[in-house]
Amino acid sequence: MSETSQVATSDHAGSTARPMIALEGVSKTYPGQDRPAVEELTLEVSEGDIVMLIGPSGCGKTTTLKMMNRLIEPTSGRIILDGDDVTAVNADQLRRRIGYVIQQVGLFPHMSIGENIGMVPKMLGWDRARTAARVDELLDLVGMEPGQYRDRYPRQLSGGQQQRVGVARGLAADPPVMLMDEPFGAIDPITRERLQDEFLEVQRQVAKTICFVTHDLTEAVKLGDRIAIFGAGGRLRQYDTPDEILTNPADEFVAEFIGGGAAVRRLSLLDIARLQLDEVVVSASDSPAGAHAVLAVDDAGKPDRWLHVPGCDEAPPLVTVPLRGTVYDAVDVMLDSRAPLVLVLGDDGAPRGSLRWDAMVGDLRAKGHGL
Amino acid sequence: MGDILQYLSDNSTDVAFYAQTHFLLVLYSVTIATVISLVLALVLHTNQLTPPSWSRSIRAGGQETSLLVASALLTVPSLALFGLLQPIFGYGIVPAIVGLTLYGIYPVLRNTVAGLSSVDPAVLEAARGIGMGPIRRITRIQLPLAWPVVLSGIRVSVLIMVSLAAVAAIVSGIGFGKPLLDGLTRLGGAGALPQVLVGTFAPLLVAAVFEIAFVIVKRLTTSRGIRV
Repeated sequence: MSETSQVATSDHAGSTARPMIALEGVSKTYPGQDRPAVEELTLEVSEGDIVMLIGPSGCGKTTTLKMMNRLIEPTSGRIILDGDDVTAVNADQLRRRIGYVIQQVGLFPHMSIGENIGMVPKMLGWDRARTAARVDELLDLVGMEPGQYRDRYPRQLSGGQQQRVGVARGLAADPPVMLMDEPFGAIDPITRERLQDEFLEVQRQVAKTICFVTHDLTEAVKLGDRIAIFGAGGRLRQYDTPDEILTNPADEFVAEFIGGGAAVRRLSLLDIARLQLDEVVVSASDSPAGAHAVLAVDDAGKPDRWLHVPGCDEAPPLVTVPLRGTVYDAVDVMLDSRAPLVLVLGDDGAPRGSLRWDAMVGDLRAKGHGL
Repeated sequence: MGDILQYLSDNSTDVAFYAQTHFLLVLYSVTIATVISLVLALVLHTNQLTPPSWSRSIRAGGQETSLLVASALLTVPSLALFGLLQPIFGYGIVPAIVGLTLYGIYPVLRNTVAGLSSVDPAVLEAARGIGMGPIRRITRIQLPLAWPVVLSGIRVSVLIMVSLAAVAAIVSGIGFGKPLLDGLTRLGGAGALPQVLVGTFAPLLVAAVFEIAFVIVKRLTTSRGIRV
């Protein structure tokens, strides 16, 4: 099941054919237990992909993650990293080639932020200057001013900042693979969302191969290039793009796991840029009434208010959404201000068109299988 | 009071010698006790230095036995212990150091075990996850984090030893136990009481010197990140 779906969608954007990390027939049975936590698992993660491992508690997703850097030694099977069989190499040296970030962060409290981040480079024998430069580079990358934070200690940082440092420590020696075990799970929802956005931004720059355990489907859909859904006993039920999983769940289990909100979740996968927008006429005069929505702009050329909207007697409030946004964002602002349409703005702030509530719902239905 | 001052001025060389020997006796003993305790705690209680072939029950047994023996030693009356050590080691500094060391092990061992086990498991997992081996985890992570607790164990040991070093004078003949024992044997005689009082209270000064040293050592050896 997993194998076929994987092959069927291997043309999706962002993934190359080259597997960076692969599990081949890996099983794990904990001592004293008769049933395996993970059974005969085969999973390939393509270079540069973010793969989200998700499933109910006790499904073996964390065990699977920890077998990739052999924090948990598999009972049988092979682990392939970048083409090399690493099932039997020195585990400590293997782990220095793989970034690792955990939910509780686990920063070393007696070491400064700089020493924490520089730990792996130091073990790899980098010289002092190179390590220091790398530490500053990484602090910049995760949005923390190096001069201000380098010499602080973990307890002086907020939870969100600690996890930023945790991610920086994972990236320190520029490993090709990052393993992340619910890194944002213990962080308040608002900070979590910001960290997720930053995480995607960082990933755009570093393009690592990432395996990411989560129990939050929204997070999986938002961050994942692919999602691996695990069932009880560490069985892989479906391994595919978020869109494909939400649209065509492989079986009852997956359908039940993603639950009833699948259609709404898919909205956040739908980029506005991929939709056909309605034309918007920019006018200075008050008069026209036609088939197109008419927008008034102020002296600076910024959208000011609607002059005319087809089908509306009174002009509705003006709300906008960036072209980079998703349909989810558009729906959100429309619901929030009770507007029947939303103005889409390009990065330069110029109007690119509008999205109508009714037309958009129609579009979604019509393009349901195409997108 | 005047008698005591008289005694101190008449015997200043002797008193300085008592103070020096008392201090050194404790210093040597606590150093040895600390080394023994650290080795025992690290080998038996981290589960990383013991051979993998040791079974779980041997490990647990080793941990419990070490603590049990060390605590049992602490209950032996000090007079009896030095009396028993004398036939084996004779008179002098050796039986005194052996006896004090035996008393000093338990507080250090207990605190080292407590300190090591109080290290956040997430910190240890992170250390393992970024590729730190067992030795590096102990020396760079566990021991530095446990250190403030270990240090307070050493401090308790020192206090016990400062008091028992006086009793040790029955075999060593040095330290403030010397004037104490001399004075006690001829109590009622001329100048006996000042001798006893000096032997009783002068160890306080030795303890104070150690306390000051501890404040400095703690300051210098505890990371700013975990200072309370």
